Amino acid sequence: MLFRILKNSFLKRPKSVFLVFLSIAMGAAVATAFLGIAGEISHKMALELRSYGANILLEPSAVEGGGFLREEDLPKIKTVFWKYNITGFTPYLFGITEFSAGGKKERGVIAGTWFAKQLEVPGEEASVQGIKGIAPWWEVQGRWPENADEAIIGAALAKRLKIVPGGEVSALLKGRSQNFHVAGVVTTGGYEEEQLFAPLVTVQSLLQQQGKVSRVQVSALTVPMDDFGKKDPATMTKDEYEKWYCTAYVTSVAKNVEEVMAGSRAKPIWQIASAEGALLKKLNSVMLFLTILALGASAASVSTSLMASMAERSPEIALMKAVGADRFQISSIFIGETLIISVAGGIIGYLLGNQLAQVISRSVFNSTIASPLWLFPTAIISALVVAIAGSIAPLRRALLVEPVRVLKG
Amino acid sequence: MSSAFCPVKRERLLRMAENIIETNGLTRNYGDICALKPLDLQIPEGEWLSVMGHSGSGKSTLMNLVGGLDRPSAGSLQVGGKDLLALNEDGLARFRREFVGIIFQQHHLVPYLTAVENVMMAQYFHSVPDEAEARHALERVGLGHRLKNRPGELSGGEQQRVCIARAIINSPKLLLGDEPTGNLDHKSTVMVMELLKELRAEERFTVVMVTHNQEVAGWGDRTIYLDDGVLVREERMR
Ligand SMILES: Nc1ncnc2c1ncn2[C@@H]1O[C@H](COP(=O)(O)OP(=O)(O)O)[C@@H](O)[C@H]1O
Ligand SMILES: [Mg+2]
Repeated sequence: MLFRILKNSFLKRPKSVFLVFLSIAMGAAVATAFLGIAGEISHKMALELRSYGANILLEPSAVEGGGFLREEDLPKIKTVFWKYNITGFTPYLFGITEFSAGGKKERGVIAGTWFAKQLEVPGEEASVQGIKGIAPWWEVQGRWPENADEAIIGAALAKRLKIVPGGEVSALLKGRSQNFHVAGVVTTGGYEEEQLFAPLVTVQSLLQQQGKVSRVQVSALTVPMDDFGKKDPATMTKDEYEKWYCTAYVTSVAKNVEEVMAGSRAKPIWQIASAEGALLKKLNSVMLFLTILALGASAASVSTSLMASMAERSPEIALMKAVGADRFQISSIFIGETLIISVAGGIIGYLLGNQLAQVISRSVFNSTIASPLWLFPTAIISALVVAIAGSIAPLRRALLVEPVRVLKG
Repeated sequence: MSSAFCPVKRERLLRMAENIIETNGLTRNYGDICALKPLDLQIPEGEWLSVMGHSGSGKSTLMNLVGGLDRPSAGSLQVGGKDLLALNEDGLARFRREFVGIIFQQHHLVPYLTAVENVMMAQYFHSVPDEAEARHALERVGLGHRLKNRPGELSGGEQQRVCIARAIINSPKLLLGDEPTGNLDHKSTVMVMELLKELRAEERFTVVMVTHNQEVAGWGDRTIYLDDGVLVREERMR
């Protein structure tokens, strides 16, 4: 019977039912789209932010080693437990030399590194490692070095030496000299603009430090630090340590790479790591806030539509009360109506929202998003929340209708 | 259908002349307006009481109070042994669906439900809808052929008969009518009144009916006259 009442009541007022349905579907669509994109943005932002720099620095430990790491250990970084979270790394070997170009002389730092080195590790997928991968914000005027005697020069140093792309510079150290063809001038916004970057092997032989590396920068996908992540692993129980090790905190990934690089000490670069976490958290709160705002707006709109139809329906409600409907029975009619509309609205809203998320994702990120499983229940729940919030005021009004009214001609 | 006035049944009626309605100093004020001045009224079980009076004399007010649709401002009100003042909102709703059948002058049917669905709605609020029973009730009021019609497709007399079917579907002890024939022509009026008479003979409910029409009042056992919220005159027909 309830179903018949609901069905006929719907058919009687298709316009107002459609309005309510629309409001709920819109709310659910926006919630679906926003939350879906929020998840996606977190993911994409993490990738983007990661590209703004290495977040783990490997240095020779003070205790062991003669101040160098071994180049031969580098491929092992691609074999560690968290290897899939490591998006790139590059070694550096630093030395102080005298640069000369066109009669100008200047002392400065020469850095041997990988630019885009094809790395083959037995049992692992081949990959390209180097500065190009972990420092995509470097602006190179000219091109990246391709040969052993090519280099890029920091913009500040280049200015002082009056070097432009295509020029020549030589580096002198203890009577040894190496000529470089300058492929490009690099702007980074940082201290790198004072340095000359050349292929690692070339700098190793110039410095007479074959097979040696001063430090390694590692870029990794990590989860934001939380209270547990901040605990000192030394004080953890076995279970806690296992959990910590198996969570992609920047510290546990650092620990991971430290283990494979003999004589190294890994330092998380905190400023970036925690800024990433904080930014993502803020971004997610903004999305959540916008979602709640959108749901609030559709609840308000549901409420308005229902309120408007209440005026029309009060004789009918008075009649139902007069023939003996109590508050619970009146409520179940209203709640039944809203429930049906909101489930329908939730499903349609989910479908629309998903499409919306895809469209946005395609235009903003140039990629589709995989909609997570929780999105559908979220859409339905959003629709229900909107419906319930929007029904409170109209329902109260319905319950206040006096049965006496039915006798008033 | 058997007559209500066969000797045996009449005797039984008289024997169980216990009051189904008793009011003492029953009063209803709307702000400064006193719609019903303190009223003492007894209605024996099984009686058919007509209520007459000019417009605004408080007839509907009395009806609403007795039917549990409204609450008195003062006085006591017992219906079927229940103290209506002691019931809360849901208690009054239960009282209405279990004890009272009401027929209105207009606005009496849910427009988007068919005749049979309108009757079933009362069953639904009372307990469980039973379509066969609802259909039977409509057949009893002579509407077996109009089951699936909506109110808009029925004449005034037919609509009123749907209301009667709905009012009796839960076997109420008390049937209230607030000018149920007020909008009907003479022929329909007679039809409706005859129908009520027959049904009452079978169902043995008490009737309280407001009317403007002296002829309609004549169907009852007793008529009371209200004037400005006061019971001014009483007339016994049989
Ligand atoms: N809800 C109300 N608010 C204010 N006054 C009312 C209300 N209902 C009825 N009245 C007043 O009470 C008096 C009796 O009304 P009513 O019982 O409807 O009269 P009747 O049914 O005899 O025509 C009238 O003066 C009417 O204006
Ligand atoms: Mg009246």
